[in-house]
Amino acid sequence: MDFTNLLILAYFVLLAVTLRKRWGIIQGPWLFFFRAFFPNWKFYHGINPAPRLYVRGQTESGTWTDWFLIYPRLPRKLIHWVHNPAVNMALTHQNLVDHLANDINDLPAEGDVRHLITYQLVSRLARQAMQGDRWGDQAMIAIEHPSNLTAFQFEVRMELPEGASSQTMLQSPVMPLWN
Amino acid sequence: MELNLAIRVFEVLLGLSLLLQTLEYMRLPSLDRVALWPLMQHEIPDRPAWIKSALNQVFRPLPYQCFLTLRLVLALALMAGQVGLMGSLVLFLMALMLLLRWRGAFNGGSDFMTLVCLTGLLISHVLGAATTPSFGWQGGFWYITLQTVSSYFVSGWVKLLRPEWRKGQAMTLFLNTGVYGPLPKVSWYRSPRVAWASTWTFTLLEGCFPLALLDVRLAMAFCVSAGVFHFLVFWFFGLNRFFWAWLSTYPALLFCAGAW
Repeated sequence: MDFTNLLILAYFVLLAVTLRKRWGIIQGPWLFFFRAFFPNWKFYHGINPAPRLYVRGQTESGTWTDWFLIYPRLPRKLIHWVHNPAVNMALTHQNLVDHLANDINDLPAEGDVRHLITYQLVSRLARQAMQGDRWGDQAMIAIEHPSNLTAFQFEVRMELPEGASSQTMLQSPVMPLWN
Repeated sequence: MELNLAIRVFEVLLGLSLLLQTLEYMRLPSLDRVALWPLMQHEIPDRPAWIKSALNQVFRPLPYQCFLTLRLVLALALMAGQVGLMGSLVLFLMALMLLLRWRGAFNGGSDFMTLVCLTGLLISHVLGAATTPSFGWQGGFWYITLQTVSSYFVSGWVKLLRPEWRKGQAMTLFLNTGVYGPLPKVSWYRSPRVAWASTWTFTLLEGCFPLALLDVRLAMAFCVSAGVFHFLVFWFFGLNRFFWAWLSTYPALLFCAGAW
């Protein structure tokens, strides 16, 4: 076995050893934007509570609708294999919800969640959903709901798959739907 | 795989991947009313000021369309084998700007692997200019190969370390959360035995991926299997960009597997 082979073997042994180690998180705005240079390649690695966005609307008479889950669900088409902007956009929106949950966890005790850009982006997502916006051909809220809404509210809940548990992480104030 | 053939196939596949991504980016402004730059730009650090100022200029609607058109042209040029050091540098810088536009990633791992390929392309041209083109490409291909094999290796073993994956329970749960989900009531993947067998098949495939470096025929078998795996990931999760991003790395992997 020559030196190159040994180096490659050593690299994968080291990689295997580090999989069990918990590393501290290095934080900073530029590191966040350029985290692609340090990919951890851990996809779907464990079943943990995941953030989900719920919204509800209020009619002119003050009646609240049910809570609606805003989660990307679109019909599959083979063309999506090469061109899939609506699904990728929907997944990006769900990522914003994930990032908001992370930001809330990192928020200092005296911090105001409303100042977070992720909060403002998710507020926008919730508003767009209540206003009937779509991911491609698919309405963000697939269920029929009243159209005469004047206000809305959203929640971020940490949920296990298939409703095994659900815990509210954040409830927004009531906000006007049109501004 | 012979070096010149590997270079040509790599350029075509990476160019195609960039082309498909760019066409999607071009569609987004008419679809997306949430992730808008005027709001997202507040997260860009104020220092150094020229970066934010430059980004605000580029990400206005018309300049952004020109930016994407340039990326489209460069992707086509790459497919035609006409991208050299300057072109690869521009593609690399554009990738960095897109990371800033989309809070570090538009589509997670596929952006990361695209950056790996573009970094490998840049390494090839920079190293090639300093030494010989052949040595440059070998350096770039080894960088891409180590990242690709690491991606499978880590992804496989982190799953095998978790009991829910080893028991085959996790796969069905994740498939139910997929963008095209939930699974139909009669889906095979709801069967615990099928879920267990499928889980072990693809996690072992991923975890054993470094073995692909031992022999080019083995590497070919791993690449074909991984291609099927990525297609299934697209089929259930809608992650089409992952398929093309990882496919772009296979010529480098096949070259490196046959290079010793």
